[in-house]
Parts: sequence; C-alpha cells; structure tokens
Amino acid sequence: MSHIIELQHVWKRYDTGGEIVEALRDVDFHADPGEFVTVMGPSGSGKSTMLNVLGLLDTPTEGTVLLDGQDVTDLSDAEMTTQRKQFIGFIFQSFHLIPTLSALENVEVPTLFGDDPTARERATTLLERVGLGDRLHYRPDQLSGGQKQRVAVARALVNEPRILLADEPTGNLDRKTGRSVLDLFDEIRREDDVAVIAVTHDPQITEYADRTIELVDGRIQ
Amino acid sequence: MSRLDDLYRRVPALLMARRNLSRNKIRSGLAVLGIIIGVLAIASLGMFGTTLRTGASQQLGEIGNEITISPNFQEGIEELSERDVAEIRRVVVDSEVVAVRTDTGLVTRGQRQTVVTIYGMENPGALYEAQDGRVPDRLRQGVLVGSGTAEILDAEPGNTISIDGRTYRISAVLAEEQGISLVNPNNAVVVPVEDVNGTGYNQVIVSSESGQAANESAIAIRESLNEREERVNVFELQAITQGINQFFGILNTFLIGIGSISLVVAGVSILNVMLMSTIERRQEIGVLRAVGVQRGDVIRMILAEAGLLGVAGGVIGAILALGAGIALNSFVLDDPLATFQVVNFLYILLAVGFGIGTSVLSGLYPAWKAANERPVEALRK
Repeated sequence: MSHIIELQHVWKRYDTGGEIVEALRDVDFHADPGEFVTVMGPSGSGKSTMLNVLGLLDTPTEGTVLLDGQDVTDLSDAEMTTQRKQFIGFIFQSFHLIPTLSALENVEVPTLFGDDPTARERATTLLERVGLGDRLHYRPDQLSGGQKQRVAVARALVNEPRILLADEPTGNLDRKTGRSVLDLFDEIRREDDVAVIAVTHDPQITEYADRTIELVDGRIQ
Repeated sequence: MSRLDDLYRRVPALLMARRNLSRNKIRSGLAVLGIIIGVLAIASLGMFGTTLRTGASQQLGEIGNEITISPNFQEGIEELSERDVAEIRRVVVDSEVVAVRTDTGLVTRGQRQTVVTIYGMENPGALYEAQDGRVPDRLRQGVLVGSGTAEILDAEPGNTISIDGRTYRISAVLAEEQGISLVNPNNAVVVPVEDVNGTGYNQVIVSSESGQAANESAIAIRESLNEREERVNVFELQAITQGINQFFGILNTFLIGIGSISLVVAGVSILNVMLMSTIERRQEIGVLRAVGVQRGDVIRMILAEAGLLGVAGGVIGAILALGAGIALNSFVLDDPLATFQVVNFLYILLAVGFGIGTSVLSGLYPAWKAANERPVEALRK
C-alpha cells in the first residue's frame, strides 16, 4: 500500500547565531490513508518542526519529502501552497480562526481565493457534520472552545484533503471536549480515508491512535 | 444573494479587507480621515485657484479685446499723425478706432476744483458708457466726466464746469471703470479732440469685437505702420491676460502642491495603520498561507484594505470639497454654481485619484512584508 506522505532521512538544522541546532536528525516517517498517527515527545524535541515539514510549511535541510508518491522537497513557494491546499488540512492548538468572519466564512477561507462554486455548500455540510449546523453565522467569539475547534476541523476538511495535521488539537480544551474532538477525528479518518497526524503531549490522544511515535532530540525512538 | 455578496464572492480579497477594516473602526476611521483631509486640501485648493482666476478675469473684463498704439519715442516719434490714424482705421478688423490726445488740467465747479487727466476724443462712445446722461457718438461740444471726478465736483449732467478757463456743459457722467484700462476715465474728463492743444495724438485705442480680431488688427497695424521704421508700439492687453492666466496656472499648481503634502502625510499614516494591523494579524496571515492562500492573494487582500481606505477617504473628501467649493464661490463670486466647471471636476478627480493612489502605495510595503513572512514563523506562538 502506498504511503500518502513519507519523510526519508530528513534532517533539519537551524543556525541560531553561530550555534547549529539540529531539530530533526535522520527522520524516517510515513503515514497511510485512514491511519491515525500521534507524535509525542518533550518540548523542543522537534515535533513542531516535523509537523511543519510534513505540512510543506518548512523544507528539510537534507532528505526527501514524498507526498502521494511525488517528491515535493524542492517545490517553489507557490507550488507548495497549491499542494497544501489540495492535500493538507491544518488544525492548531489555539484554533486560529479569523475573528471577523462567521463560522461559515471561516470554513470557506481555504476556498475563498479561487473559483469554487460549491464551496459554500460543502462548508455548510461540514459544519452540520461537526454539529454546528445551527451556528453557521456565529462569530468565533460567540463560540465555545470546543465549538471553535470544530469549526477549525471543518475548515481543515473543506478542500477534501488526504492528510489532517493537528498541532496539540486538544491542548486548549478540557478533557471532555477534547474527547469529542478526537471522536470527530476518528470518524473522519474512517469515513473519509484521511490520514490524521497529531503532535501532542496529551496521552489521551494515543488511545485513538493506530501508532504512536516518540521523538526525542530530533530522533525517532 | 445580494449584489454585495456577489461582489465579495467574486473578489474575496474585498470581503476579507472589509472585515479586517471593521475590526478596529477608530483606527480605520482615523486613516480615512487623513485621506479625507488630503483629498479635501488638493481639491479645494484647486477649486480655490479656479475661483481666483474667474474672479480676476471678471475684473479684467474685456481688456483682451483692446489694443493700444503709442508713438515710439525711442525712434524720436512723439505723436501719431492724422495719417497714422487713418492708416490704422484702414487696416483694422472688426474694430473701432479711438484716437486720444491727452493733457492734464484744472477743473473747477463753483468752489470745488481738482486736477484731472483730459482726454480729447472724437468718438468716446466706442470706449465708454454713461452712468448718467448720454455719450454721443461724435463728441463735438460738452464734456464727459469720469465718475471719480464727478464725485469730487459734485457734478451731474447739465451742470457747467470750467476746464483750464474754458466752460463746458456736462453731457454725461461716465460709468465707473471696474477693470483695468489704459485710458481710465474715472478721474478724467473727456472733451472734443480739437479742444486739447496739439495736432497729433498720444495714443490710439483699438477696441475689437473679439480677442481674435484684436490680435489680427495688431498684426495688421504692425505690418503697415512699422514697415519701414518702428514708428509705433502696439500694446496688446491680451498679452497681459495671457500672462495673468499663466500666473494663475502657476498659482494653482503651487496650491495643489501644498495640498499634496497633506496627502503624503495621510499616506504615511495609512502606512502606519496597515503595518500595525498586519503585524497584529501575523498569525492569521500565517494560517491563511498554511491553508493554501497564495502570496499574491495575501498581497491583494492587504492592498484591497488600503484601497478601501483610499476610496472611502476619496469619496468623502470629494463630497466635502464640492461643498467647500460651493461655499467659497457663493462667498467670493456670489455664484455657487460657478463651482460646477469642468476644471473643478478635474481637480476633484485628480485629488481622489491621488488619494487612492497614495493609499494603495502605502499598502504596498505592509502587503509585501506580510506575504513574505514564512508561515512557520508567523504561526509560532
């Protein structure tokens, strides 16, 4: 079975004023469609860097990134942006919704720039699916934390991605709300065959995961 | 779906821009105010110039239609002869020719007396109108008294006055000459030409029906009288009016220049506002980039914000400028409708264009900065 995303011998080095920091050291990683993988590790272990490389937000210093079997390591910024839009949905710890836009408009944001006549329909359906069908026109400050993260999930799904990348998705939620968001992830990866990769401190998430990877000092243990 | 929704759907940058601006209404409002002031300054200073020019050309009246011929003293010619005058009469186009013999003298009426300029003219009707009484086509007897002189002497038509010992009956008091004239009648008297000592004439006034006729006449006179020697100086008042027009052109440019400075200041304030707001929204812009919004779209979005500020400021500024123009014109020219001239609308258009241009230009740097920030950096908490 082909991997939807794969890292091969990925190194990431930062030059922080004379001192070279190795955030990722020879990381090999892959995820398959429908798989739920969690990446755990102490802070500063390179989790976020890894997620950024997986999300085509950052390029590795060495190594190769394969997206759906294609080498995407050396794409231009515009090409990477296009690939992100097509393949990847992002979910952040602090939701990062745009405060001036309604829930529905926030979900539409990834489709906004570009001719996409069915976007509104898809956004509405997604919000109904995450249980916010009656909150379409609420602004983020009128929603609770769990509801905001649901809007963010709907936003991540609006372009029908193959991969969902989540950075501490339950970090700002209480246990019960976190659980309901994770249930949502579980449903999505089963029904939509989407690979879910979550970076987290939260041991609760590992209960949902098919696999858990431990990252320490940039190396997979 | 409303038309506005439709527009937002087609130009999503506008929707985002509109919402972003509403986020901090006071800040956006102040930025718009800057543009309003700038646009108002340019447009109303431009219109102020137009009003000045209109007022001035009202004052100048029809002097552009007059030319004056005087003897060329440098060539030793001290006066114009009957033959010169006849020659001028022969060559002019659509014009009346008034030959003037000038002197000064003492005018008395009862106890009152004053020193005045005395013009000897055969046909003053071509130049002057009466305020009281009648100006004859051919002045053979009697005297025409300028309005200022009449006031000093407390004279009116029918009275008799004495000029250098000779007694005249007043035929008319002349209307006050408001504009510029080379034979200003206000503090003068006009008598039959043969009553002024001398044989030649000091100057000849050619009053034409149009500026073009005056110009053609001037050329014809130069060609015929100055053919062999420079006998006469031909002075076209049109040259003055052209000079004055040119002066007002310069003045207008200068005024608009001053106005532009305020627009530059407004531009800096927009630059500041946009920079602040993009720095505040770093993370949001990072998210936009992460979810697949291209750099160009981010630039478009922020330029749209700056552009919206400019359009809002421009439109409000234009309306206020129009109001200011109406107020100015009704105050200075007593004619509010004088505001509605093509040139004024050009000034408004120019000002609005400048305003929008300045805004968009000021948005460029923040837009570029926001779009080129790496999403990874922007998303870092």
